[in-house]
Amino acid sequence: MTETRGGDRIRAAFMAARAEGRTAFVPYVVAGYPDADASFQAAIVCIDGGADLLEVGLPYSDPLADGATMQRASAAALRAGATFDGSIDLVRRIAESRPGVPLVPMCYANQVIGGGDGREAARRLADAGAAGIIVADLTPDEGAPFEAVAAEAGLAVVYLVAPTTPPQRRRFIAERSGGFLYCVSLVGVTGARTTLPSDVAKLVREVRAVSPVPVGVGFGVSRPAHVRALARAGADGVVVASALVDALGPEGRDLVALASLVRDLRNAGASSTA
Amino acid sequence: MTIVQRAGRVDAADRANGSDAASKPQRKRGTGARAGVVRGIADRRLAEVLPVLDDLGAAELRRRVAAAPEPRPFALRLAEPGLHLIAEIKRRSPSAGRIAADADDVLARARAYEAGGAAAISVLCEPQWFGGSIEDLASVRAAVTSPVLAKEFVVDPRQLDLLRGTGADAVLLLAVLHRGRALTRLVDRALDLGLEPLVEAHDERELETALATNARVIGINNRDLRTLDVDPERAGRLRAGIPEDRVAVAESGVRDAGTIRGWRALGFDAALVGETLVRAGDPGATARAFVAAGRLPDDPVEASRAPFVKICGITDEAGVEAAVRAGADAIGLNLVPGTPRALSMDEAVALAAHARRIASPSKAPAIVPITVDRSADDLNAIAAALDADAIQLSGDERPTLLTKLDRPAWKVIHLPPASEASSSTSSVNGSAPSGDGRVAAEAIKRAQAFVDAGAARILLDTSGGKHPGGTGRRAEPHAVAAVARELAVTLAGGLDPSSVGHALRASAAVGVDVASGVEAPRAKGDRPRKDALKVALFAKRAREARIDRPNLPARPTPVNAGLIDADGRGWWGAERSFGGRYVPETLMGALVELEDAYTALRHDPRYWSELRELLATFVGRPTPIYRADRLAALILDRARAAATGPGGTGSAVPGSLRLYLKREDLAHTGAHKINNALGQALLTRRLGKTRVIAETGAGQHGVATATACALLGLPCVVYMGAEDIERQQPNVLRMHALGAEVRAVTSGSATLKDAINEAMRDWVTNVRTTHYVLGSAMGPHPYPTIVRDLQRRIGDEAAVQILGAEGRLPDLALACVGGGSNAIGLLQRFVGEPGVRLAVAEAAGDGITTGRHAAALAGGSPGILHGTRSMMLQDRDGQVVEAVSASAGLDYPGVGPQLSGLYEAGRLELAASTDEDAFEAMAFTAETEGILPALETAHAIAALPRLLAGIEGRGSAYPADVLVLLGFSGRGDKDLASFGKWRERGGSASGDDANAVHEA
Repeated sequence: MTETRGGDRIRAAFMAARAEGRTAFVPYVVAGYPDADASFQAAIVCIDGGADLLEVGLPYSDPLADGATMQRASAAALRAGATFDGSIDLVRRIAESRPGVPLVPMCYANQVIGGGDGREAARRLADAGAAGIIVADLTPDEGAPFEAVAAEAGLAVVYLVAPTTPPQRRRFIAERSGGFLYCVSLVGVTGARTTLPSDVAKLVREVRAVSPVPVGVGFGVSRPAHVRALARAGADGVVVASALVDALGPEGRDLVALASLVRDLRNAGASSTA
Repeated sequence: MTIVQRAGRVDAADRANGSDAASKPQRKRGTGARAGVVRGIADRRLAEVLPVLDDLGAAELRRRVAAAPEPRPFALRLAEPGLHLIAEIKRRSPSAGRIAADADDVLARARAYEAGGAAAISVLCEPQWFGGSIEDLASVRAAVTSPVLAKEFVVDPRQLDLLRGTGADAVLLLAVLHRGRALTRLVDRALDLGLEPLVEAHDERELETALATNARVIGINNRDLRTLDVDPERAGRLRAGIPEDRVAVAESGVRDAGTIRGWRALGFDAALVGETLVRAGDPGATARAFVAAGRLPDDPVEASRAPFVKICGITDEAGVEAAVRAGADAIGLNLVPGTPRALSMDEAVALAAHARRIASPSKAPAIVPITVDRSADDLNAIAAALDADAIQLSGDERPTLLTKLDRPAWKVIHLPPASEASSSTSSVNGSAPSGDGRVAAEAIKRAQAFVDAGAARILLDTSGGKHPGGTGRRAEPHAVAAVARELAVTLAGGLDPSSVGHALRASAAVGVDVASGVEAPRAKGDRPRKDALKVALFAKRAREARIDRPNLPARPTPVNAGLIDADGRGWWGAERSFGGRYVPETLMGALVELEDAYTALRHDPRYWSELRELLATFVGRPTPIYRADRLAALILDRARAAATGPGGTGSAVPGSLRLYLKREDLAHTGAHKINNALGQALLTRRLGKTRVIAETGAGQHGVATATACALLGLPCVVYMGAEDIERQQPNVLRMHALGAEVRAVTSGSATLKDAINEAMRDWVTNVRTTHYVLGSAMGPHPYPTIVRDLQRRIGDEAAVQILGAEGRLPDLALACVGGGSNAIGLLQRFVGEPGVRLAVAEAAGDGITTGRHAAALAGGSPGILHGTRSMMLQDRDGQVVEAVSASAGLDYPGVGPQLSGLYEAGRLELAASTDEDAFEAMAFTAETEGILPALETAHAIAALPRLLAGIEGRGSAYPADVLVLLGFSGRGDKDLASFGKWRERGGSASGDDANAVHEA
């Protein structure tokens, strides 16, 4: 892991939650879904509802790690005119209005690296106020050049481990991950699930044991019971994405329902770490 | 007489050792219990034979040996090309009980085996357990002309005399029954008698004992004779432990002909088959099937990759005969005075004449005198005297000498010998240390000067020996590989039967040359003589070194290595800037597992042999090439019209076009896709995965995968864009009929790229049980390599075929390109052939300038798509731009990393055909040739006139009599509905072109 300004901010946010006896709550909004303003409002609802970090999904034409919800939201955002420039603006607006919460964009490799090294995208995201970045289809194996340019911009590159990651590789990834380590809870794509895999607690414990950075658990996390179970397993944070997008309703504008789910999930993480 | 006396001495020595050959060794190893069944049989046998042998007495045994018929060559027969059947006769066995009726006519059976092609007959001599007898041995020997192996439990050395005296040509010796020294004595005694010992081992320790003897034939028995258990994989595991200079025999555990084929691929020289044959209803037919399975593949691609073999320094007629029998391509006769193998002119003339007398004219070896620093006049005189086919120059000759020679010249170039330390570090893809790089560069420069001066062959030898011409030592492997990569070279120096296979697998050399490595031991001062078995094994090991290893280079490829193969991390191109592995972490484990499995399979001859058999019998490979003269005339007319018409360059269009179509449309399922699908379905089985998924665009890959899965009994799910389902209905119905589930994908553009996304999502979810059969040479490492390797047969076959038809490689090889599996499959063979231009035709859809196209090379930029960095269609935000093409198979926004690298390096010329162009080409191809191409294929046909007119591609002129190879990737039945609609819109093959041309 390369030390970065953004990475420090992310770790500090996890530490602050732990100091309060909570599992960090990491909600997610899709930039430009259903439009730029509405996605800004959703972000504010998440932050004001108690987010410790916020993920900002950059909509992509070919989101192959994502399930139906994210595919639909991504496609709708792009149809509504979402662009990379628009996502930068959104990050900047959120950062300016709620400067205390670290923002972590999530995207696919071609959006930031493509045929180059990603220097320009990393600089622009960092300038807009992003603390880190998650690239769904980038692993440390191909990540070194991007890590270098992201570090120059002060941006932490957050990597993912999955249940299919062999134990010795978990450590390798954890040691390269900046800010926090994203632990994928299940074998599959993103999307709300009624239950999490039965062995997720074991996975979280094992991953946490080898990770020098906080461990945030995501994919499928959608209910307070999931959050409580992950908190008991020792997760430093939980990432909730598709369930929140679902809560926004078919039009993507139901901020009341969003606020309600955010509150329930946030509380679930606060009440169960004893 | 001396032989018999010596045998008598050994006999006495063994007997002085007490029961050395019987029970003692086993007890000493503390293996009394483990020795089990075989010990019991041996003990009983000893009790039986002792009184018999004592009764006969030494004099009678000597008499019988002397009176016995000449031994028939056993080892030499097994050293012929391929794997040979040793068919066994037994009436019963301890493992199976009675397996043949008492009334079974042993002689009829032996004759049936021989008629079926068995190379030797094995006869059980043990009566108690196997119902055999020495009388069976004698009568079988008299009834057949093949060598006969005595399958006996040899527990007393005198049995060897008895067996030879009864006519046996070979004898089985069991390593499990004898300690090392005793076994060595038995082997030597048998060899002295002219009785070829086959020493059988079952495990590493026994093999070590067997190899410590002088036995030339070593067997691995899958059956443990102590327990009678059979482990069918054992022979395969232990094969690598038998040096290549021994004849290797696999025994027991034959399930079917597939087992035999696998043993052949692993490099066994023979299979000893008993029970399976004895139980067969028709022993002759079963023997014939097994013999066929043991034959080398009748595959022109393999033949084209076989190295040239030269046997050098032959000194007598027996040496000539050994070389001719081994099928040597050339015989070297040494005329360098003062060297050990030097011949007088008279001797050389006589040996050359002998070679021509005994060889069949079609296989006669080239006669090559070896010379050092002779004058041109001398050389021409020598050549005339011998009627030499070529002259070898092994000294410090200069290139200018070649212009004065009447016959082809073969020039030896010397490399410094390897130090002992570095000679063991060779590897196929190892990079050369810089010192070797310099050495290689100098050798290449020297050799190139001779090639430029017209040298017909370059031999690479080591320098610094006592005599000019060769040192008998190996050169540094890295330097050798570096030279062989640039130039066609024949390896010489230090090779022998045990090393030649490895040397050929470690470099792209086109030939091998051997002298001292195939000679018999000799007393100081004697002239060296060839050992017939070593000569045969050398030729065999050389010829078979690369069989069923299609991914080992067999000829030079003087281009940047990144254009030929990916590096260890899956990066392609001169700058290694395309490829890699960009996937969610969840898939990384599966990709690493796939990479490991494929790395093991990539050079595993059993896998490629199994695949070849299926490709031949199930798919119908090799597919033919077809010379399309009427189509060629039409294309040439169009090229002329294009050159002079609007936008034309006015550049010279070739005067004649010979156009060959590589007919992948004739492969089973109607396109090239089956090559990859079948290979990956076999791979799925090796991975232990139980479910297959695939994506498909035109439906051809889906049909191919569904077909392969039906064949191998694997459940199959195919993802297909909803739009493609609409336009490729016939293929959807075919997939259903084949038992596959077709899942419609409605996201995105509902075409190929979205089907891939959905397949990847399925894979992410089911990765533990599922193999994703990716259909094109794209995707994350190692897919681009796997798919390319499985499709390269297209070009490998086509090159051999066009060489056969035209005597040269094409001036241009052209294919349509979507993801690129058909294109790279055709072009891979020619990437390293500087004289062959490579072109691809992309789908221009509505036209490149409209922005509505699928031309990822001409209209795209580097980016990351579906796990790999390659050329793709994208906007400035990196969003994937939807491809547009009427052709579902080309309707994809990316192209694989190897083709991207070739394009970046300027090695690939581009053309693009619109939907309209392609439909029109479909029509005129069908009308002129009676072949309906797939719409994808039609893009390549449509592009050819513009390429020949210099409007597309590099623009430089082609030869006046241009020779073109076009990848005819698939048949057009699936496109008939869209073709019909195009016709309804008023489409036609541009007026009367199609018919008018051919009146000319």
